[in-house]
Amino acid sequence: MKNKILITINNLDDIEYYQKLGLKHFVYPLKDFCVGMPNVFSVAEIKEEGYLFLNRICDNEAIDDLKKIIKKLPNNIKGIIFDDLGVLEIVKDLKIEKILFLNHFNTNTLSIKIYLAHVDSVVISSDITKEEMQVIVDNIPNKLTIFVLGYVNAMYSRRLLIDNYCKFHNIERKNPLRIQKEDNHFFLYENEYGTVFYHEPLFNGLELLSFKAKYFFINTAFLTKENIKDALEGNLKVTNDQGFLYQETIYKLK
Amino acid sequence: MMSELLAPAGDLERLKIAYLYGADAVYVGTTDYSLRANAKNFTLDELQEACDFAHSLKKKLYVTVNIVFHDKNLVNLEEYLQKLKDMQIDAIIASDIIVVKLASSLSLPVILSTQASTLNYEAVKFWQQFNVERFVLAREATREDIIRIKKETNASLECFIHGAMCTSISGKCILSNYCTNRDSNRGGCAQICRWVFDCEDSHPDFTFMSKDLNMVDYIEDMLKIGVDSFKVEGRMRSLYYIATVIMCYRKIIDGIGNKTLTTKEKNYYAHILDRVANRDTTPQFYHKFPGVNESYFQDRLEVSNQDFLGLVIDYDEKNKMVILEQRNYFKKGDIVEFIGPFMEELTYTITSIFDEDGNSIDIARHPQMIVKLPINEKLVKYSMMRMKIFDKNNEL
Repeated sequence: MKNKILITINNLDDIEYYQKLGLKHFVYPLKDFCVGMPNVFSVAEIKEEGYLFLNRICDNEAIDDLKKIIKKLPNNIKGIIFDDLGVLEIVKDLKIEKILFLNHFNTNTLSIKIYLAHVDSVVISSDITKEEMQVIVDNIPNKLTIFVLGYVNAMYSRRLLIDNYCKFHNIERKNPLRIQKEDNHFFLYENEYGTVFYHEPLFNGLELLSFKAKYFFINTAFLTKENIKDALEGNLKVTNDQGFLYQETIYKLK
Repeated sequence: MMSELLAPAGDLERLKIAYLYGADAVYVGTTDYSLRANAKNFTLDELQEACDFAHSLKKKLYVTVNIVFHDKNLVNLEEYLQKLKDMQIDAIIASDIIVVKLASSLSLPVILSTQASTLNYEAVKFWQQFNVERFVLAREATREDIIRIKKETNASLECFIHGAMCTSISGKCILSNYCTNRDSNRGGCAQICRWVFDCEDSHPDFTFMSKDLNMVDYIEDMLKIGVDSFKVEGRMRSLYYIATVIMCYRKIIDGIGNKTLTTKEKNYYAHILDRVANRDTTPQFYHKFPGVNESYFQDRLEVSNQDFLGLVIDYDEKNKMVILEQRNYFKKGDIVEFIGPFMEELTYTITSIFDEDGNSIDIARHPQMIVKLPINEKLVKYSMMRMKIFDKNNEL
């Protein structure tokens, strides 16, 4: 199972630690192409084999910049995990693994099958129930990627919401910034490309590791390597929940 | 060719009003598969009536099929799309690739919803292989983004010009899912971005609500850069809002087209549009990156008014009386204004009011009461009476 885990990297020094845990697929948030990721890397900084992670919705300028990077892509880059379908157009002819992480989409079997004609794997949305995931995985075994651990990106704004808020109130900028309303807790993280609202507590879908998936995805943003070790040993100490695995969202109000 | 003015409508009455006040096309949702699950929405019978009405005016009707589907929602989807095809709906608006593909296989034209977050030309090229005919760009698209996408793809582009903005990139928000268990990508958005949150460290309350969009100052520029469709947001909005917004933009677009729009006139429409909105408006991303002035940071700050006084339901030609359904308080002596299809704004001083039985009254105070006012000009059904606040000629 551990050899199927894609794990994002916060610090290049963590890689050896993760290798000792038996992990081998490392995912590098790509500088200038990510939101909500506190640690990002240029291609030149990446020395080990691994995957690039791009979760930004790209404007034309970003697409142009990405084309320049892709032209000189070194051999240690095995694959690319992305949200924007424009990225797929750029990498479609490259002989690297392409994994579509279209956040909040990919909630049904047929749509995923269509995308799979264009990419090597698709990340199933964690907005659906475990039962719904099971149906999809049963229909498309060993092809999909399942998000199993990490803070869930619950909202992505192009706006600089922390910056603007602090400017308006003339207070010191705090990034990340925690907010809550009653029992709903989020923390915001902002960079020049936008603001992400992460839901708290941490999403723990490690029980999905039993599914017949191609990969399992762990987003380590705002977690430590020790948190990950604990989690993989079944001893997760960070407050967590199971998101929507057992709580189906309402489609229509009656 | 002049760009299309595209209006929202939450029901048949608003749809008719949108067309009559100048929309070239209207988009609606049905009771299934639409992102405004809490709007009244259209039954299939109503949709057929809407389609026939639109086509009788040589106008277009689009249907939103823009939820993000779960497996169980796919049941009957193909049959549903076939029904839309049989009705001769002009296009559907979708974001989920299964809908796009199925519609394409039925030769049902597809407009890619803003929910697909399309912000670059390569993304447009991806979708073009699925025969998408038009793209509603992400609301975050700047002027330069639009120009470049047009240049690289020659795609038909639809851009929002007026109405509420998501704080999130559309499609990238599940705050409702967490806070209310309502699925925002299946029509359940509870507008969490309008909530007030507590902030850590005794910071002031955290709000992140965007002001509304208003592109009056940039319509001419958008025409020049090749925007094909000007979209107004608001399937939940009132018929007065729809009528006013569509009429203003119709006059602006036509005035630009025939080179008669004066600055004074444009300012007049801008004032009217500001007045009909209940929030402040800005051009948001088009001309500059939104900053502090494009959002609210202190509670919701929404203001409504009682400008809409009555809806014309008929005109009594024999007695030269307009028959109105009251919407807000008015009285003898008020200076008001009639607006309506195929007419210029008409200023009118209320000299007398009669109730349904012909009794003279001084005040129309009850919502939806039927009243009659003497007026020589024949006013058609769906004309409206509003408070006169601004004057086109004098910029009051």
